[in-house]
Amino acid sequence: MSKALHRAADHIDETLFTFARYDEEAAERTGYSDYSYWRSTWRVFLKNRMAVALLILLGTLLAFTFIQPYLPNQKPPTMIHFHPDTGLPLRNVPPGDEFIFGTNAIGQDLWSRLWSGTRTSLFIGFVVGVAEALIGITIGSLWGYVRWLERPFTELYNVLDNIPNTVIMVLMTYVLKPSVSTLIIAMCITGWLPMARLIRNLVMIIRDREYNLASRALGTPTHRIITKNILPYLISVIMMRIALSIPIAIGSEVFLTYIGLGLPLDTPSLGNLVNEGRRLMMAPSMRYQLIFPAVMVSIITVSFYVLGNAFADASDPRNHV
Amino acid sequence: MLRYIVQRFFQSLLTLFVVVTVVFILMRFMPIEGFFGPNYDKLDPEQQQAILRSMGLLDPLHIQLKNFYLQLLRGDLGTSTIFRPNVPVWEIIAPKIPYSLFLGWASLTLSITIGFTLGVFMARYKSTFLDRLGTLYIVIINAVPSAVYYLFLQLYGKDLLNLPMLFDPDNPKSWILPIISMALGGIAGNAMWMRRYMVDELNKDYIRLARAKGMRNSAIMFKHVMRNAMIPMVHGIPTSILLVMVGSLYIESLYSIPGMGGLLIQAIQRQDTPLVQALVLIFSAFSIFGLFMGDLLMAALDPRIKLGAKEGSR
Amino acid sequence: MAKTVEELRAEYATKEKILEVKDLVIKFSLRGDVLTAIREASLDLYKGESLCIVGESGSGKSVLTKSFMGMLDANGWVESGSILYEGQDLAKYKTEREWLRIRGKEIAMVFQDPMTALNPLRTVGRQIQEAVELHQGLRGRPAKEAVYELLEQVGIDDPVRRYKQYPFEFSGGMRQRVVIAIALACKPKILICDEPTTALDVSIQAQILELLTQMQKAYNLTLIYITHDLGVVAHVADRVAVMYAGEIVEVGLAEEIFYNPKHPYTINLLSSLPQLGVKGQDLFAIRGTPPSLFKEIQGDAFAPRNPMALKIDFLHRPPYFEVSPTHKAKTWLLDPRAPKVELPEAIRLLQSKWGDDVVADA
Repeated sequence: MSKALHRAADHIDETLFTFARYDEEAAERTGYSDYSYWRSTWRVFLKNRMAVALLILLGTLLAFTFIQPYLPNQKPPTMIHFHPDTGLPLRNVPPGDEFIFGTNAIGQDLWSRLWSGTRTSLFIGFVVGVAEALIGITIGSLWGYVRWLERPFTELYNVLDNIPNTVIMVLMTYVLKPSVSTLIIAMCITGWLPMARLIRNLVMIIRDREYNLASRALGTPTHRIITKNILPYLISVIMMRIALSIPIAIGSEVFLTYIGLGLPLDTPSLGNLVNEGRRLMMAPSMRYQLIFPAVMVSIITVSFYVLGNAFADASDPRNHV
Repeated sequence: MLRYIVQRFFQSLLTLFVVVTVVFILMRFMPIEGFFGPNYDKLDPEQQQAILRSMGLLDPLHIQLKNFYLQLLRGDLGTSTIFRPNVPVWEIIAPKIPYSLFLGWASLTLSITIGFTLGVFMARYKSTFLDRLGTLYIVIINAVPSAVYYLFLQLYGKDLLNLPMLFDPDNPKSWILPIISMALGGIAGNAMWMRRYMVDELNKDYIRLARAKGMRNSAIMFKHVMRNAMIPMVHGIPTSILLVMVGSLYIESLYSIPGMGGLLIQAIQRQDTPLVQALVLIFSAFSIFGLFMGDLLMAALDPRIKLGAKEGSR
Repeated sequence: MAKTVEELRAEYATKEKILEVKDLVIKFSLRGDVLTAIREASLDLYKGESLCIVGESGSGKSVLTKSFMGMLDANGWVESGSILYEGQDLAKYKTEREWLRIRGKEIAMVFQDPMTALNPLRTVGRQIQEAVELHQGLRGRPAKEAVYELLEQVGIDDPVRRYKQYPFEFSGGMRQRVVIAIALACKPKILICDEPTTALDVSIQAQILELLTQMQKAYNLTLIYITHDLGVVAHVADRVAVMYAGEIVEVGLAEEIFYNPKHPYTINLLSSLPQLGVKGQDLFAIRGTPPSLFKEIQGDAFAPRNPMALKIDFLHRPPYFEVSPTHKAKTWLLDPRAPKVELPEAIRLLQSKWGDDVVADA
């Protein structure tokens, strides 16, 4: 008879040497089968402490941006304040009790202008992000799905992708009248390209990737393939692109304003505020007019950039445990 | 290989053609004043019509387009209207080129040498303090609008280091800030991609084989990883040129450098349509040519393209 | 020609061990969690033999062999145990300098996917020459000659032209020959073949196995095959080690494992071979999935999936029970107190071919 190599087990209770009941569910449970895509994405995201901190910061900032006009004692962003006795405009008043962030060169309240400008810039950023996503998805799906469009669209893409988009943007804003919608159009005109290519590649994956072919061959209904295999990836791609196009849009707005193609001066925007601050930056006592908007721009752009990348990492199943 | 070059060349030509056409058509949407000199208001309507006709602006669009192409083929970029009335655009642009080229090359050299080196070290010492510091730099430069950090560089460069705020061709100290400003974006981009490509390469199977055959890590880094990562990087160099160009739009104006980028901004602010049109065309042509060169360079270095491999390069 | 099992056992009794793995534990850290990939695995390797390590994906086959060369991923480490090779404990090696004495020189490796194992941007010849220069001390012309010779040896014609070609100009089977040439250029004593044929066309697989067997003779190599293809095992193995959830649950001569499996996992694995299916009956399949290696495993890791599990399997880890001098298995079923089990029909058929002497022995 066989000989145990280890004698240590000899005093084990004899009754344990009887068959255990086979539990099929327990057998299935041993593995990783409780995997959920969104839960894993969220878990990986939460492990990135920097991103979580920025998410909270950005969330608070966004919330405040929207409730700020409804708070008590807020001044209208475009109102020029005058001294009650002399009747002269309160120009370049340093930050203090009356004006938290001071006033600008013509006596407007910088605090309310800053929040109003943030609203404008965020609005532009979000609209550009969403519009790029919509255009990108439409064109990308056609490009990937309709076979005879494949070649002409690829050529079109190569041509457009070769044109420097700053040049296009400058040209568009030069030709059109300066306004919020002009900026949005100018930024979208080439901004949809990366999105379209992503979607096109996705559609190709739907069509040809082996695990999807396998799913189809096994009789999985198309809607299930779309919701289980493709939608998670699609949503994460879209969210990431929107998150990344917001800092780009805000940066473009600041740049276009500098070269004189931005929004009219009576519309506060982060670009306008930075530009107003720049004119006075050589006088150290007035430098606050540049620093406040610059800090705001930096917080917003860095947060979105980091969040977009953190989300992209988290939504990549290869990073899921 | 030859087929690829020819194909790529015609693609570039096509792109240039599209750009020329689009630029021209867009410019027709500009207020008609942009085509006159400063005396527009003093002319009576009949004179205006006569001038418009003599300039060909009343012809149907396709005729105008044809004339525009022919004009370009002759190397004629048009005549300035407001900036320096009736002076050929080319004469305004030509003396600006050396400044743009000099500063552009200087910052490009910086952005390539520093950017590549930084990327290599970040990949080599991944997840260490150096890598984190580099990543922080990349995130800030990529996210914060250049229009914002250029300002602070100019401001504190003067305050803390006492560097000149304006460009002076005779004072090399005044070249420092603009060159560094222009290079910052390129350094970040090059470092980011170099690191990414190297990390990608490091995860590939052939690295395992190289280790399994007993190669030193340092030898693997130099002989395999860096060489392979260089190929897509070389492809990105034209893009760095582009970045430098775009940076120059802003920086030349910020430091009053008499280059082409600053000129474009002045032309826009003064609404000198022919000058804007010419500069936009020149910038586009540069970048299209740059991308074309990048593809050629990559084809020369990558045997899979050179020898016409069927499979994709990745 | 074929030796009987008794003769083989006698042969092994005199064979010299070249590598001894004892109670090896390997862990990985993955995003803050610690995963135990190898759980007290023990394995002996004898000079000149071919050992096959079989098991499902994730059972730790690759990790185990990578640890012999210090090629664990950066987030993995040897927690305890030893790997003895020529009087040295490889498990204690830390620095690259120490490992450079082993890698290539003593132990070399052939990888699964020849499509990705070669640097796409360097010529095939240069990649072989690197190994020649490192391990044969040749430079320049003589090194090149050595590469030509190697190419010819692994069955690649026209070596002078082939030397200058890039991997994409080679077919999958040809690339695998190049990878083998690189391994041979190192002049190793042990060659680890990590699924050397999985990525190849069926028609090419036999050629590559044939080549490996030839080279084993020519270079006096000890071979370790990692595979989940039992066909490959039958083709090449002297001995077989069966891995499950990071431990070696059964090890023995190929004949012993194939005809007289003892561990329930081995039994289930063999029963699920289509070749052994009984006509008219459903093909057997092992239910469930392997355990998560992030969790502490109590008792026999296979117990939850084992239809013939004992109560003790859920509580205590079984020790090795010796079936024959060359055959041992980690299962409580071999304990004298264990009840008799009803084996699947396919296994009973195999055992009947095994011969009376050995069955009595069990």
